[in-house]
Amino acid sequence: MHRNASWPVGGLIVLLLAGSLYAADQWPDYPVRAIGDYPNSMTTGGLTIAVEPLEDQKAQKTHFNTEFGKKGFLPVLVVIQNASNSDSFLIAKDKITYGFADGALSTPEAKSKAGSIVGGASLAALSLGGAVFAMKLISNATKVQQNILKKELQSNTLSPGASTHGFLYVPVPKEGSRARLLLRFLVARVGSDETLSVELQF
Amino acid sequence: MTPNQSVAALLFVPVMAVAVATAPSQGKEGQAPPKFALDAALVLSPEFCETKFTKGSTMSGKETFEVGKAACESLEPALKTAFSNLARVDAESASGSAQVVLLPRFVDVGATRTVGAFSDRELIVLVEWTAKDAQARTVWIATVQGAAKRNMGNVFTAGKNRRRIVEDSLKDLAKQSAAKMLAAQEIRDLVR
Repeated sequence: MHRNASWPVGGLIVLLLAGSLYAADQWPDYPVRAIGDYPNSMTTGGLTIAVEPLEDQKAQKTHFNTEFGKKGFLPVLVVIQNASNSDSFLIAKDKITYGFADGALSTPEAKSKAGSIVGGASLAALSLGGAVFAMKLISNATKVQQNILKKELQSNTLSPGASTHGFLYVPVPKEGSRARLLLRFLVARVGSDETLSVELQF
Repeated sequence: MTPNQSVAALLFVPVMAVAVATAPSQGKEGQAPPKFALDAALVLSPEFCETKFTKGSTMSGKETFEVGKAACESLEPALKTAFSNLARVDAESASGSAQVVLLPRFVDVGATRTVGAFSDRELIVLVEWTAKDAQARTVWIATVQGAAKRNMGNVFTAGKNRRRIVEDSLKDLAKQSAAKMLAAQEIRDLVR
C-alpha cells in the first residue's frame, strides 16, 4: 500500500525536474524589430538609439523565466543602429547612465539638469544586479542567471551600417507605479574627439 | 536517358549551380585568414592574470573560477594568428612603439549547475576588449564571449572538471577574440 502511494509523489518529482530542465532551453530571444518601428528612439549624427521597456510580466516570464518587477528591476531593450556611411561609434557600457526624470526634462533646455540626475549611476556596475536576484528566485536559478547575462547589452563598436541590441536591467522601486526613467548614452565617434549624447525617457 | 536518370540530372544540376555560386566566398580550404601587418602589444597585467570569480551562495555551494590564469595562457598564442608581430607586456605604459595596443577586461562569468554528475554544465566568460592606436586613442571596443560545456563531475572529479571547463572556455574566447579582431574594420584601418 505504502509502495503504491509513493508512485504519484515520485512521478511528480520526476515530472517537475524534467519540466524545469526542458523549460531551461525554451526561453526564446525577445523579437527585435527594425529600428524605425520603435516609437521611443532618437537619431543624432547618423546614430539611432531606441529603447523599449519590457514591463509585461508575461513577456518577462516567456523570455527570462522570471519576473523582474518584484525584485526591483526593469529590463529595457536597447537597439542601436549606425546609419552613417563612413563613421564608426564606440558603445561603451560604462558610458550608459540612468536616473529618474521629472517633467522638466522633457524640454531640451533641461539637458544639463538631466545630466546631473543621471550622472551618478552607471549601468556597467549592474551586470551582476540582475543575476544576483535571479539566484534567489527558483531552483534552476543558474540557468535563469546565464540567460539574463547572455541577453544583456554589451560594449561594442558599431561600424558603418552595423547595429546591435541587448537588455539593460534598470533598478526601479519594487512597489507602486514607477516614475519616468531616463537613460543617457555617451557615444564616441572613432577617430575624433566628438562624443554624442543621447537621452531617452520612458 | 531513362526517367530515373532524368530525375537525377534535374536534381544534380541545381546542386552544382549552388556549389559554383558559393565557391569564391568560401576561400581556399585550410587557408588561414591573413594577419594584420601591425606591431601589436597585448597587455596582460598581473591583476588580469590573477582574476577569479566566485559564484554561488552558502546554500548552493560556492565555486571559484580562475579565469585570469587560463586567459593569460590562451590569449597570446591565439592573437599571434591575427597580427604579424605581437608582444606581450604587463602594462599599457610598456607598449613602446606598438601600432595597436590590446587591453582585455573581464566583464563577468556565468556558470550553470546540474543535478546529476554526468550532466553537462555550461560556462560562459565575457571579456571586453579595447584597442588603442599609437596615440593612445581608443579605436575599437568589443565584448567577446567564450563558452564550453563539460560534466559537472562528482565529489572526486568536480575540481578537475571545473579547471578543464575554464580552460576550454578561455581557449574558445581566445579564438573568438582573434576572429573578431580580424573582422574589425577599425583595426584594419590602422594598417594604412
